[in-house]
This record gives sequence, structure tokens and C-alpha cells, in this order.
Amino acid sequence: MINFQYVRASTVKEAIGTLAKAGDGQFIAGGTNLVDLMKRGVTAPQKLIDINNLPLKDVKSDKTSITIGALALNSDVSENELIIKQQPLLSMALKSGASPQLRNMATVGGNMMQRTRCPYFYDTAMPCNKRKPGSGCGAIGGYNRMHAIFGTSNQCIAVHPSDMCVALTALEATVTVSGPKGSRKIPFGDFHKLPGQNPEKDNILQKGELIESVSIPENDFAKNSYYLKLRDRASYAFALVSVAAALSLDGQTIKACRLAMGGVAHKPWRLSEAEKFLAGKKASAENFEQAAKLSMAGAKSFGYNDFKLKMAPAAIVEALSKASGLS
Amino acid sequence: MKPEDTSNEKPHRHIKHTERRDFLKKSSLLTAISLAPGSLIKAAEAELDEKFASALEQLPLSIEVNGKMQQVNVEPRVTLLDFLREQLQLTGTKKGCDHGQCGACTVHVDGKRVNSCLSLAVMHQGKKITTIEGLANGDELHPMQEAFIKHDGFQCGYCTPGQIMSAVACINEGHANSKDEIREFMSGNICRCGAYPNIVDAIADVKNGGQKA
Amino acid sequence: MKDLSSNNKSIVDGPSRVDGKHKVTGKARYAAEHPIDGMLYGVLVDSTIAKGTIASIDSKAAEWAPGVKAVISHLNSPKIPGYDDKFYGLKVFFNNKVLFYGQPVALVVADSFERALHAATLVKVTYNKDKSETSVDKNLANAKLPGNPRMKDYVRGEADAYKKAEVSLEEEYLMPLEVHNPMELHAIIAHWLADDKVKVYDKTQGIKDTQESISKTFKLPQENVQVIAEYVGGGFGSALRTWPHEIAALLGAKKTGRPVKLVLNRMQMFTMVGYRPYTRMKMGLGATKDGKLTGITHEATAQTSRYEEFTEATVNMSKFMYKCANANTRYRLVQMDVSVPTWMRGPGEATGSFALECAMDELAYKLDLDPLEFRMKNYAEVDPENGKPFSSKHLDEAYKLGAEKIGWYDRNRKPASMKEDGMLVGYGMSSGTFGAFRWEATASARINADGTLVVQSAVSDCGPGTATSMVQIASESFGIDASKTSFILGDSALPPGPTQGGSGTTSALGSAVFDTCLALKKQLHEIAAAEQDSPLYQSKFEDVKFEDGDILLSRSKKVAITDLLKKKNVPSIAVTLESKGNEELQKYSMYSFSVHFAKVHVHPLTGVVRVVQVATVADSGKIISEKTAAGQMIGGVTGGIGMALTEEGVFDDRFGKFINNNLADYHVPVHADVPHIDTIFINKPDPIINPMGAKGMGEIALIGFAAAIANAVYHATGKRIRELPITPDKVMGAEV
Repeated sequence: MINFQYVRASTVKEAIGTLAKAGDGQFIAGGTNLVDLMKRGVTAPQKLIDINNLPLKDVKSDKTSITIGALALNSDVSENELIIKQQPLLSMALKSGASPQLRNMATVGGNMMQRTRCPYFYDTAMPCNKRKPGSGCGAIGGYNRMHAIFGTSNQCIAVHPSDMCVALTALEATVTVSGPKGSRKIPFGDFHKLPGQNPEKDNILQKGELIESVSIPENDFAKNSYYLKLRDRASYAFALVSVAAALSLDGQTIKACRLAMGGVAHKPWRLSEAEKFLAGKKASAENFEQAAKLSMAGAKSFGYNDFKLKMAPAAIVEALSKASGLS
Repeated sequence: MKPEDTSNEKPHRHIKHTERRDFLKKSSLLTAISLAPGSLIKAAEAELDEKFASALEQLPLSIEVNGKMQQVNVEPRVTLLDFLREQLQLTGTKKGCDHGQCGACTVHVDGKRVNSCLSLAVMHQGKKITTIEGLANGDELHPMQEAFIKHDGFQCGYCTPGQIMSAVACINEGHANSKDEIREFMSGNICRCGAYPNIVDAIADVKNGGQKA
Repeated sequence: MKDLSSNNKSIVDGPSRVDGKHKVTGKARYAAEHPIDGMLYGVLVDSTIAKGTIASIDSKAAEWAPGVKAVISHLNSPKIPGYDDKFYGLKVFFNNKVLFYGQPVALVVADSFERALHAATLVKVTYNKDKSETSVDKNLANAKLPGNPRMKDYVRGEADAYKKAEVSLEEEYLMPLEVHNPMELHAIIAHWLADDKVKVYDKTQGIKDTQESISKTFKLPQENVQVIAEYVGGGFGSALRTWPHEIAALLGAKKTGRPVKLVLNRMQMFTMVGYRPYTRMKMGLGATKDGKLTGITHEATAQTSRYEEFTEATVNMSKFMYKCANANTRYRLVQMDVSVPTWMRGPGEATGSFALECAMDELAYKLDLDPLEFRMKNYAEVDPENGKPFSSKHLDEAYKLGAEKIGWYDRNRKPASMKEDGMLVGYGMSSGTFGAFRWEATASARINADGTLVVQSAVSDCGPGTATSMVQIASESFGIDASKTSFILGDSALPPGPTQGGSGTTSALGSAVFDTCLALKKQLHEIAAAEQDSPLYQSKFEDVKFEDGDILLSRSKKVAITDLLKKKNVPSIAVTLESKGNEELQKYSMYSFSVHFAKVHVHPLTGVVRVVQVATVADSGKIISEKTAAGQMIGGVTGGIGMALTEEGVFDDRFGKFINNNLADYHVPVHADVPHIDTIFINKPDPIINPMGAKGMGEIALIGFAAAIANAVYHATGKRIRELPITPDKVMGAEV
């Protein structure tokens, strides 16, 4: 690791201003991913701007939404009474991610900004278009067990590793960011992008922008939410496939439904077709299977991850069954 | 270069002054000082530049470790783990993976368990750190330490400090209400010897005994 | 709260580990944790090709970096006198050849860890790359009989007799590559005290081996090499030999004239300290319709490196585990562009038992027999391989106890027939065995005038609890409290002890401690019996007992050892003794045995397997310390859960490199993977092996376990998964 410069910022304005002047700088919050990437030489900023003192840690609610500060810790959000009561899907997703220690460090904003866990991205001796554009993709034709089946490009088949973001996608959250040019709001589902021809960019955040908060609009999914995470060991592992399922039920009838998957794409993968199909239908195994089948349209696997074509629909059915109380 | 080429031996004696100036120009800290003072160049030529490098590339840090205030200077790139182990000689906190993948480096920062390997020391200005060395009250072991001995919650002992720090936090967080819950909330601490069932028994025992931090 | 009540009484009640307090307070010092003035830090630069030559090394930028004291490579390495033709293993910084991906090609030494780490990234190495081969499957045609003469084909009766059997089975099984991954990173501090005298703090399971290896490599008198290993943070075999990084640290210290600390990173733990080799196996089993085995064939093909042959006893268990007139084995190796494998817990036997014990289960179902009944029908009362009697064998009792504990006979034997909370339920069983040995070992015992007993030997303990067991043997021998007894280890200057491997420490060292204590007691008695005014005057040793620090003829005729020493005016009396087995042992086959029962839940839709209950039984002679023995068994089961369900080292053959070389991608089990484990000990002393009657148990704890899980998954689902690990995708994808 190079011996970078380190400064602390105490206001959003100061942080943004410092970064704008720094040239090659980055914000650091929990550091769980950034420090790791710096140790591996994947990134080597000349300057780190510590934003932990910024006043962005609160979870607040008003009549129509809950707003979570970007520096709220993953553990605090997962244990927050308001979140557990009104948005249990988010709490479940957060608790299924990483470990208690990492959740005590990782922030909501940092979780959104985490990079892929693709082994070719992490190893500077390997080709990777995300790390070094034009160097090729090691995962295509390589060991791609953890990799994407949706929205891939010939440049990159990496997945976004977050659980939290899958839930926030399903919950149609809104991200507020600030930058040198002022502040703007981004629908959560638009925040992360597909790899396309520029996989080096994970999201649509512009240079110098800082995530301030995430808002979740009020909903009535609290009673019928489930986050299912399938992985290679019982805990402390990234998802092979994960599903965020949220239902609004009237008896056995599905009034509204939200579905998103993790571990299958370069961004949290919203299952809009399945949502549309299920709306107004009965919560039944047959309908869940049909929804899962619809969700797999366009899926493409790369060898080691062929199993995801089978595992993903099974996971969708299981998550819907759990959310609806069928199993 | 051929194998018999030994021109690289004792490199410092062969490096010319101009090359050392090159080094100074490249040094990231000195980019902050737009003009390197002449005296610094002279010092560099006397091979004192490394000492300057250390002095200038370090930041002051006030940090409380196990109840003792430490006023130190550290490079920003030093992790909390390496700071504890290499600078304070508090080697009870272990390095198992250095990448947040094993939990051996778990310490408490202001009472919360964290992986010290993924945390920069400078990020803990004014914070209170508790390591395994600070858990016992003098010669009187913490109930969790006693329970680990009683239940044989370790073999080689290397993951043990991390397990114990994590276990204390696990109860304080309210995540020790069943053995399954303990298993889930202790899963960030890997034990390769496989003492898991005994660790879970130890935590359950302390929880039943009504431990508070 | 009932769920939280503790339920392992034997563990709680037993005497605790003698080093426990140091371990729970952070006072225990492992190799990298010894503070030494003027110490430098070494960081290795690893090759980024698997095969070829180094074209150039540009180390100028690294040498100029702040704090750097030396950059060492084959271009400037001090000559190593022991790197001759007879040298065994990789010669570090020896020439420009690259033999595997991640081979150390340079060492950077600097005055801080951060500076060394950064400077290592500044060393620019270019290569002439050759095509590398790392896939065993693609190179099976190149499999060869090993050079090791003990690995030649074995035939008893008729080869491949299973093919003619009334009922037969032929299946292939795969043990993937596994990596030891002890939690402590391999580390060494090398400190040259003089040109020909060195002290190292090292992670090693064999202190004397390391001492010998360093003395040979650097051609130093053995007594000029001191090896310290007070605490070892796990090994499982990875610290059974001296590796190139240890020599590199010694070179760094030599070159700089200062002590050098070198700690491998987790990635390097995959390439520099061995692993369990990827092994493809074929099992052929034949039986009569009523379930008598008529043929056993076990074939194995494993990987090894090009620069060193590694062999292990993968197929051996099939030669003697079951009574069968016809048995044959074939063991082959494929040389690959990889670092050399090494013994990993249970070594080859753990690999081989997976195939044998799965095949036994499969054939039992073919025969419509209970897998346990099938095993009992073919129970070997004498060793089928050599006709010798077993020194002791209570495997039948172990089967019975394990079956009772798990509720074996309450299950419905039919596959995919049981459900519980929406999960498929499966029960599986298997057995394991490993040779029991008695190597030579030396210990010293000293009784002090204050009544304390100090026992010493040059061993290290990577976790089993050697000091605890030795204290127990010594204190029982003297009939004094364990608190007055101590065991000192971890220093090569002590009397030569055994290497901690092959489940042999307790037998070898325990015997030495036992015999040494006996000799010391005889000496004390001799002194007492020679004193005319002593109540023990002219008594015979056979007639006295040692109790509470007294030598006792009867309740009224006794002498306190402390008084004896005071009277003789000596501060202490000590005995040092070498102990080894006699020829009588050759008449017997000596093995430890284990039986594993497991209950699993399998999710019907997603294929996720969870182990929910385990009963594991050890038939390993007398148990010295039930607390630490239970730990060994639990640990073996945990390793077995990893082997069965989660662990697999993967290469990207295009580059010849490990692609999951970290603890996030190489999945060792976590807390949530491991249920409560019932451990049961037969605890009957072996009358032959050694004076305590104790046999080893570190290996049998793991050997066979993975098969119990695979068999349980079959029982739950009707699916046979023959390639480990049994990840959810394999369960989902397999045919019923």
C-alpha cells in the first residue's frame, strides 16, 4: 500500500470540496471494502477523505418514508426497531450479509459502493476489464461459479455482492447524492448499472459525488417479506443466489409483489415480469413456479455457473413460499 | 541480468545523490510541500531521508487502548491490527487473514466488535479500543475467558482472542438467546481446529450466568 | 433457557488445559510475536506464472524505497551450502526456473511491515512463460507409478475379483484439493547470533525436524541451531516440514545482519505450505448375495509437483478394513506445475476412506442390507493384510454405541422417505482407521525439593493439548496434583521429542514421560531404601506406591519426597530417558478406529445440506485427557463437515493458479455449519502398544467422516454425490 494522505472532513460540503481538490482521492467510511482493495493493490488513491464524522448516521421517519443516513452502520440499521417493524426485508438482508464485525463497520453508503468479489478483479496479475479496461475478462472462460447470468456483456460477467442493495431495490428506495454540482435523487434500481462496454463503472455516481441518504417509501409488505440467501456455507459467505421477496396479501390473493435477486447480475436484479404476473393472483406453488419461470427469460450461463439457471428459479419459489407463509 | 551479476548487493551504497533526489520528488508526502527545502536535500544525501520520510508521512493519533491513552504518530496506511501488534506489542489480537475473512483480529472499538485488519489506525482518533489483553480485571479473568477454559473452547488458541472478544459482544448485543442464534452471530470468527460446539457452550453458559460487559 | 443449557459434561468436568489461561488472555506467544530489538520485516514476491523462467528482475525502485534494507533473489542470494543434488524440495532463490504459480522469486526486507509490503510491489519481474499443466483430469493419461517403492500395486488373492461377484459395484469418487489453512499464518523470525549460529522462532509441528533441516541446509552443527515454538496456531500437517519461506527468512537475516520476521499472507498459505492433493479414485466392490465381500479394488490417481514426489496411504485402508480374500490397490501420480502437496489431517486415509465407505454404503443398498449390518458381516477379527492379530480392536462396540446415540435403528432405511419441518432427513454412517505407532522419544523429569515435578521435551503443540496430557501422565504416575506438575516444551534445546503428526505424539511422548517418571520414581525409592533410618529401608520398589508426594509402603511407613531431597541436601533429582517400543509390537497390527454417524437436513428445493446431529465414536485405547480428546474428535468432525460440504481449492488452469486462495472464497466451516457433536470413547487400554495403552486419535477423528455425510445425503434424497464437496448445486443437479 502506498503511503497515501489522510484527512478528516466534518461536513458534507467540506468532504466534497476536499475530494474535488484532491484529484486522485476517495472517501472512506467503514473501509471494509476499500482498505481490502488497497491491500490487494486494486486501487491506490493518493488521498483518503475520512467522512465518518459527517452527520449522516440517523434513521428518521416521516409519514411517507423512512430515511437512512449513508453513514448508518449496517448493524444499526438491521437492529433498528423502525426498520424491523416496517421494513423487515431490509433487516433480514443486512443480517445475512458479511459478519457481525463487518456489519459494525460497514455503512449503508459503503455497502452500495462495494466492488465485485470476482477473483479476477481482485488479483492484479489477472486480466479484468473492470479493474483495467481493455485487459480482458478472466471470468469468461475461467472460474465463474459466482458470476452473473443476467445482463452480462462480452466485457464483464461480475456480480454486485451486496445483500442490502437487493432488498432496497425491491423496496423501491431512493438515493440522495450531493456533489460539486449540487444534489440529486436517484431511484435505487437505477443506481447500479450493467457492465456494458464500460464495466469499470459500477454505478451512475459522478466524480466527486457523495451518497447522503437512502429513503424507503412506506409500504405494506412488512407481514410478508423474506430474504433468502443460498450460499456455499451456512453463514459468512457471498450469495450464489439470493432473493428478496415482498408481498402484500389480501387473504390468499397477492395485491402487490416485489421481487429482486442478488448474485445473478452486475446490479441487483429486479424481477418485474414476475411481479406483474403475480399481481392479483393467488399465492400458490403453481403461480410461484410460473413466476420463477418467467423470471429466467434471457438468462445465460458461463460454465461453472450453469447451476444458477436451476438454482435461481428454485430460490424464487422458495422465497415466495416463505414470504407468503406457504412454507 | 545473469545469475552471477551481483551489482545489486548493498544497493544503498551505490545509489547516486541525484537518484535520492528523485526519490524525494516521488515521495507522496512531499508533494504537499511544493518546494523541498535545500536542507532536506542535504539530509537526503546524508541518507537521512528515510527518517524524514517517516516523520513527515506520519500523523499524530490519540487513542485509548485498554484504558491507557496513547499519543503516537502513525502512517495513515497502518491498520489498527498492525498498530496493536507491531507498535504497541499487543500481540493478543491475531492476524489470520488480514482481509476481514476470519475474525481473528476482532477488537472492541467503543464497545463494538470490529475487524481491526480492515480498519486504519488513524480512523480511531479519540476512540476507546479494548483488546483481549484488556478484558481481564487484573488477575481476575473475565467470565467469558473462564468459560472458554471450562468448556475447552479452543485448541491451538490462535483464533481464541477474536472468538472471546466477539463472544462478549455477541451477548452484549443481545444475540445469544439460543444456540442457533449464537452460531449465526459468531460466524464471523473462524476456528480451524473446530472448537465451535464448545465455544457455543461457553457463550451459552456465560449468558445463563447473566454476564454484562 | 433449556436450549442454552450446557450438555457436554465430560468436557466441563475434566481437568482444563494447562496453557488455557495464556491462550484466553493473549499472553501465549506464537512464532511472529516475539519482540526482538532491531528486527526487520521480510515480504516475499511470488511468481505470476506457473512454468517458465525469470527473464529479469528490476528491484531498483524497491531498493530505493524508504526503509528497504535488502532485496534478495536468485541474482544475489547468498549461497546455500545444503542445496546439493540430494536436497529434497524447492530450492528458494536458487536459479531462474519457475516451477509453480506463487513460487517465491524475491524477498524484500525493510524496517517496517508497511514499507516492506509496499516495496515488494515495486519489484518488477518479467518471465519467459511456458505452457503449464495443472489439471489432473486432463492429464490422467500421464499418470505414473510413484518412485516410492512402498506405493507399488498390491494384490491379495485375485485382482479385480469384484467383476465376477454375484453383486458388484464400480464407481468413481473425487477428493478435491484441500488446503490446511490453520488460523495462524506460517511465520518465522530468523536471528543469526553468529556466522554459524542461528536462533529461529518458527511455526513448526516438529522442533527437532526443523532444527535438523536448517542445520543440514546451512551446514551448521545441529547444536548451533535453536528452534523455538512455544505456541503453534494450528497446523493439520502444514507445519510438518521446513518450507522455502523459512529458508528465505534465514537468507534475509544473513544478508542484512539483523533479525528478520517473515509472515506469509493468506494467499501464500495456499501455495507455499502444502495442501491435500486432488485425487480421483475408483472403487470396485463385489459380494455374495447374502453380503459377504468377495472382492475389493481401490484405485487412486493424485497430483504431485514436478520437483518433488509426494505420496500418501490413500488406498491402504481398503487392504485391511474388511474381511475379504481378494483385494487389490493401484496408486498413481500425475506430475503437475504446482507446488508440492503434503500431509493434511487424516492424510491419504481420509481421502481413501471417502471412496471405500461410500462404496460400502452403496453396495449395502444394492444388497438390501443395513449399511451397519453389512459392515458387521465383513468384520475383520484379524488383519486381512498380514494375518496378524490386532493389538486391540473394539470397532464392533463403537458401531453399537454410535448407532444407539443417533437413533440409527429408528430411521426408515428407504432413501428419500423421511421428512421433518419441510426438510428431507437423512442418516449416514461410516468408519475410519489409522495406524497406531510408538516412535522413540526422550523426556526428562525433575522432582524439586519443593515437591513440584517438571517434565520436559522438545516438542511443539499445534492444538491437541500435548502439555495437558503429559502433565496428566506425569502427575498420575507420581500421584501428585496436576497443579504441582508442569510440562515444558517448545525449545529444541530440550531432550528430543517427536514431531507432532500422524497421531503419534501421545503414544511416543507419553511413553517417554511415563518411563522417565518411572525411572525417577525408582531412583527416589532407591535413595529412600538405602537410608537405614528410613521407614522404607530395604523395601522393594514393587511394594511401594507414590501418593500425594509421598513414597508409601503402608499408611504408617512412608517418606515425603520433599523430606528425602532435603535430607540428601539436593535441590532436585532428574532423569532423562529415551523410550521406544520393543520387538513384541511387530507381532501385532496396531490401529485406532472411529465410527461416525450423522443426521442431515436437505432442503428439497434448493439442495442446501445442513448437518443437524453427529455422534462420533473413537476406539483409540485409553483416553489420557477426556477434555482434550473430545476436542480432537469435535475438531475432526468439523474438518469433516468442511471436506464433505464446503472445501475445494480451485485452479484456473489457463494461468495455473489458485483462483479461490482466500478465506472468503475457500470455505472452511463457520459456527453456523457445525451442530452439537456427541463424542463417545470406548476407552479400553490397548495392552500392547505402550505402557499407558493409549492410541492416537487426531486422524481418526476426520477419517471417514465425509462419507457419513455423503451417505446421509443419499438417504435423505436418493441421490449419490460422489464428488466432494456436496454443494447445493450438486444436490440440485444430481439424478435420483
